[in-house]
Amino acid sequence: MSTLHLVRQSAFATNDFAQCLSVLAHQDAIVLMDDGCYNLKHSLMDSLLKRIDGSVDISVVDTHAHARAMKALPSVNTIAIKDIVELTFKHQKVITWQ
Amino acid sequence: MAIIDTQQVSDLPEEDGLAIINSKAPYSCTYGKDALDIALIFGSFEQKVSLFFQGDGVYQLIDKQEGSLLSIKDYLKTFSAFEFYDIEDIYVCQQSLANRQLNEDFHISDVIVLPSIEFGDALNRHKHILRF
Repeated sequence: MSTLHLVRQSAFATNDFAQCLSVLAHQDAIVLMDDGCYNLKHSLMDSLLKRIDGSVDISVVDTHAHARAMKALPSVNTIAIKDIVELTFKHQKVITWQ
Repeated sequence: MAIIDTQQVSDLPEEDGLAIINSKAPYSCTYGKDALDIALIFGSFEQKVSLFFQGDGVYQLIDKQEGSLLSIKDYLKTFSAFEFYDIEDIYVCQQSLANRQLNEDFHISDVIVLPSIEFGDALNRHKHILRF
C-alpha cells in the first residue's frame, strides 16, 4: 500500500510538509505543487533527500516551480500537471497537504 | 488582515502614514494583490505608504518569476509603478531571505534589506499598520 502526497503549502509558513514527512513510508511519492515548490529550498528537503536515498519518488510541477523562480534539484523529477493523473493510479491512496 | 496598534512605542521619531506588511507568497492567495491595491490607492491620494516584506512575503520581490505560467494576472509587474505613486520606502527582512536561501536579487530597485531588529524599528516608526 503506497500513498501519493500532494504538498501544496510552503513549509516556511505552515507545518504541513513536516506532518507529511512524519507519516511518509517507503514506496510513497511526493509531488510539490503550488506554494509547495518553495520547499525545494527548505532544510526539511535537504534532510529528506539524505534520509530516503532514492526509496521515495519526489517530483515537482515544472510550471509551478518556474513561475516562482525556483530551480529543480537534480534528485527531484520535474513533471507536468497532467502527469499527476497517472501518479494517482500508481498509488492506492492520495493525501493532499493544504 | 490585522490592525496593530503601536501607540506605546514612542522612543523613535514617529513617521506619519501607513505601513503595509506583506507576509504571504504571491500566487496561491490574493493577499499580495489586495496589499498592492491599498498601497496604490493611498499613493494616488498622496498619502505616505511604506511597504514591509516579511516571512513568505519576501517571495513577492524575487526576480525572474513568471506568474503568466499559472494563467493568472501577474500583479508583481505593477510593483515597478511604485515610484510613480511616490512609494519609496520598501523594506525587506534579511532573516526571512536567509531562511529561504534567497539572494538579494529583486525585480524592483531601491529595496532596503534590514536585519530583524532594524526591520522592527522601521515598522514601529509608523502610526498605522496593516498586515496582509
